[in-house]
Amino acid sequence: MRDLLQVARREIKIGFRNPWAYSYLALFSIFSLSLLLINSQNIVQGYSGITGSMLSLILYLLPLMTLFLGSFSLTSEKEEGSWQLLSTYPLGTMSFVIGKYLGLSVVLVTIVGFGYGLMGIASVLTGTSFDLNTYILFLSFSVGLVLLFLSISLIVGSLSRNRWQALTISVSIWFFFIIGWPTILISILDNLPYLWIKPILVVLTFFNPAELVRLFVVIKLGGGSILGPEYYQWVSWIHQPSGTLLFLGVCIAWIGISMGLVYWKWERGRSHG
Amino acid sequence: MIRHSIARFLCCGLLLLTYSTIVIQDSISAANRNAGAEHLQQIIDAAKSGDVIKLPAGEYEGPAIINKPLTIIGGAAVSVRNESNQPAIEIRSEQVELSQFSIQHSPSGESSAILVTADGAVIEQMTIETRGFGILVRDADRGLFKENTITWFKTKKDKKTSMAKKQNGIDLYNSHDNRIEANEIYDMRDGIYLENSDRVNVEGNKLYRSRYGFHSMYTKGTTLVGNVGEFNVTGAMVMGVKDALVSGNSFRKQSENVNSQGILLFDVQTSVIKSNIVEGNRVGIYVEQSSNNQLRDNSILRNFMGIQFLESEGNELNNNRFISNVIEAEALDSSGNRMDGNYWDAFQGLDVDKNGTSDMAYTINPFYQQLISKTSAYQIFFQSPGMTFLSSMFSDDQESWAKDHSPLMSQASSIDDNANLSTGSSVWIGLVGALLLFVSIFIILFLGVRKQ
Repeated sequence: MRDLLQVARREIKIGFRNPWAYSYLALFSIFSLSLLLINSQNIVQGYSGITGSMLSLILYLLPLMTLFLGSFSLTSEKEEGSWQLLSTYPLGTMSFVIGKYLGLSVVLVTIVGFGYGLMGIASVLTGTSFDLNTYILFLSFSVGLVLLFLSISLIVGSLSRNRWQALTISVSIWFFFIIGWPTILISILDNLPYLWIKPILVVLTFFNPAELVRLFVVIKLGGGSILGPEYYQWVSWIHQPSGTLLFLGVCIAWIGISMGLVYWKWERGRSHG
Repeated sequence: MIRHSIARFLCCGLLLLTYSTIVIQDSISAANRNAGAEHLQQIIDAAKSGDVIKLPAGEYEGPAIINKPLTIIGGAAVSVRNESNQPAIEIRSEQVELSQFSIQHSPSGESSAILVTADGAVIEQMTIETRGFGILVRDADRGLFKENTITWFKTKKDKKTSMAKKQNGIDLYNSHDNRIEANEIYDMRDGIYLENSDRVNVEGNKLYRSRYGFHSMYTKGTTLVGNVGEFNVTGAMVMGVKDALVSGNSFRKQSENVNSQGILLFDVQTSVIKSNIVEGNRVGIYVEQSSNNQLRDNSILRNFMGIQFLESEGNELNNNRFISNVIEAEALDSSGNRMDGNYWDAFQGLDVDKNGTSDMAYTINPFYQQLISKTSAYQIFFQSPGMTFLSSMFSDDQESWAKDHSPLMSQASSIDDNANLSTGSSVWIGLVGALLLFVSIFIILFLGVRKQ
């Protein structure tokens, strides 16, 4: 446990000495502030044009940022030789992997928190009416998105030999989950029997953390009815408090399985030298 | 001996006294019961044609039939209760006026609190609770229904009654030139339902939490003016209508149901829809198979989808304001509409000749609409970043898209769009924001920058 915290503290320190962390912090803050200013005449509440575009911004920026910071952190351990050094110490792989995850999540959540903090203060200064529930919903789901993609980024970092490989894989994963997802799904599903389309879509949505989080926020903002009659039961279910628990369960399962993979990969690498 | 007889006398007196009190109490309770169960029909039968009856406070029993000109006025504590399957009050004669009393109509099904089958009825300031219809109007013209409150009659047993079991608030069939004004109707099936009834004026009503706030089928010359509808499945369901005027209404927050709309126009011809506010609905204005209508000066705010055209041609869409909708407009098989001078807040126009309108047209990409009309399961991609990307790739054949040729560069805002939303939490946002900022700066400084 002490090892784990040690790794996490080291990760936080390295994270905040990394100039990239600050550039992402600036990027996220500036984008969210601009978006707020463009819409300063409108009320930010419920599912509307402004919350829709905020959702898109978050979905574009946060996963990419997380994938880069997370995967680079792991590859740098390999490239700079610190993992070779650490693996000679009596430090468990599990402590190392979880410590990494915790440390990075503190760094990322701090970046997100900073951006939202600025947004909150700016909304008061500019007189934009920002509904508190909507604000907290957005904050918690940005954090959720970051934590989910962090676990993916650690898989990417484990599989890559160096930074360039991590960069390539990160961008492909980002494109696949965020941009290409509907295109790829529609092209495949259109060739399947009509009745299969909906169940397969539902199942596949659980495998895309970006879609999962996006749909959850849309439903919690009260926009579930736009998804149409096909998803009526899902929407009314998720709208209840127990839906939040289900969502949290799915997120924890996602992170748990990913971290298991990362552990397996690093443990194997350790014993194979 | 004398003592004995005195005792007997006293005894007898006591008995007599008790007996007489019992008799008096009996007659009092009988009188009470009579007052409670007084039949409205008896009062009506006793009245002469043209009489004005002022009902004393109390409860009256229905059902009653009015078959002569009569005015019945109640008061704050006047109520008519009906448990039979007949209408609580049936109006069969012309020149009947009812005002200012309440009706509790408990049988469910097809019966109604008030049934009007004669022309020129006036029903004002009534409070109606019903498990059937509220006011049923059949083949009766030129009536006035004003300032009534109609609502579902809740009993302790039912927590939530399904919409299908309820009936309509005010229901007209083959009844022309009626006026329905300033009523408040909620928790019913349809608030106001018109069928085959022409030139009906529906004005200033408040319609809440019903299936459809307003619903018309096969009517001509209907005017729907200044009504308010909130939390219905659909605010105004206008179907099979000609020459209607829908103006100055506000329909908000029809967003819970997967079929919710602010205003739905289906098979509507040559009608005017102007100066309405549709806000926070699933779809603001939904137009299907409707042609030659004018839609102008409407404010379409914060809907999931602003306006949706399906198979509709020859409509004119002018001077409407589209603000903060998730998707502003979708159109499918609807290229023959003339759109000019609307304000679309998500559109960045280009005004070279400085005339206030963009020289670039605003086009509506039909890709998503086409996709979901073929496979509705794809609605799960609504406004997903990847879907926006995919739509933008299918930009060929733009000639056939619906487009606004001269979108406005800035909005002519006169109404306070945000007046209807609560804004009490701005201080909290500031506090939470400041706290977040403080904590994150603290973490950066003490865990990141500071030397150990």
